[in-house]
Amino acid sequence: MTFLIGDLERDAITELLNIAIGQAAAGLSQLVEDEVRLSVPFVDFLTPDQAARRLDIETKGGDAVAVRQHFNGPFAGDILLLFPERRSLDLVRHMLGDEVPLSQLTELEQEALQEVGNIILNGCLGSLANQLNMRVESSLPTYLRGPGARILAGGSVAGGRDATPDSQGLAMFLHVDFALLNKDIDGYLAFIMDIASAERFVDAVRAYLDGRI
Amino acid sequence: MAAKTVLVVDDSRVARMMTRHLIEQNRPGWIIVEAETGEQAVERFQEVLPDFTLMDVNMPGIDGLEASRRIRAIERAAVITLLTANIQDPIRHHAEEIGIGFINKPLRVEALLAFLVEEAP
Repeated sequence: MTFLIGDLERDAITELLNIAIGQAAAGLSQLVEDEVRLSVPFVDFLTPDQAARRLDIETKGGDAVAVRQHFNGPFAGDILLLFPERRSLDLVRHMLGDEVPLSQLTELEQEALQEVGNIILNGCLGSLANQLNMRVESSLPTYLRGPGARILAGGSVAGGRDATPDSQGLAMFLHVDFALLNKDIDGYLAFIMDIASAERFVDAVRAYLDGRI
Repeated sequence: MAAKTVLVVDDSRVARMMTRHLIEQNRPGWIIVEAETGEQAVERFQEVLPDFTLMDVNMPGIDGLEASRRIRAIERAAVITLLTANIQDPIRHHAEEIGIGFINKPLRVEALLAFLVEEAP
């Protein structure tokens, strides 16, 4: 089945995501005391191979660390926050500042990144749900490490539908690149929904538009 | 200002560390007690009867809203605020229904200090 969205829906999704990531970025900016630069959000329909290649590009072929949460509601899927592995400890250092001795930083890295993910992903998801006037439940954040493609294949956490694109079809990716202006740290955030969920999401976006234009 | 006791509830050790640090910086000498789950929060509350409770929402086991309800059943005058990354409107509405505060993460010092002067209802 081919599932397409029109220019208007695509534009609305971009704007909704723009607002959502903007609110989440404000949280990140406060945490690390730096300006967060955001790309224009993209809406793509990708096959599993294309998605894996996209994440490998994001991680420049190297390993990445990621925080992933499953969400469930009128539409379901996964939301993913990803950083190149080589910069993740820097991010944690900027976040915790002088509060933690260097020797403890590595030990705390995973928990610190999970908390970054918790703030960013829930901020983004919450804003999106608020704009669409919906309630969305989210799982606790899961920490993942490895090549981009393996992180993508990590699957959703227990209790939810798997939003990873299967071998049969496409998945909808709503994604944004971001960078910390003065710290040479960049990252990537993506919503991933299978086509059935994507259709329900686009229906919600159409309902949102109906009331506003 | 007389030393008070603050209960910090969060499943994330890092989140608890950041909140503790901010309280210690701004209210030196205050006693800070931590809990990692909603169930533990209810137990710790009964043990120490804190003056203030900062409560995460999404945690393993019972969530922060349910833990707040249970604490309120123990002590109607408990001063509680949610401290959460979950900024959805229904969460704020549930907080209002229970009669507790809502602070979004990351915690800002202004929001913390405004909460730490609240009187019991």
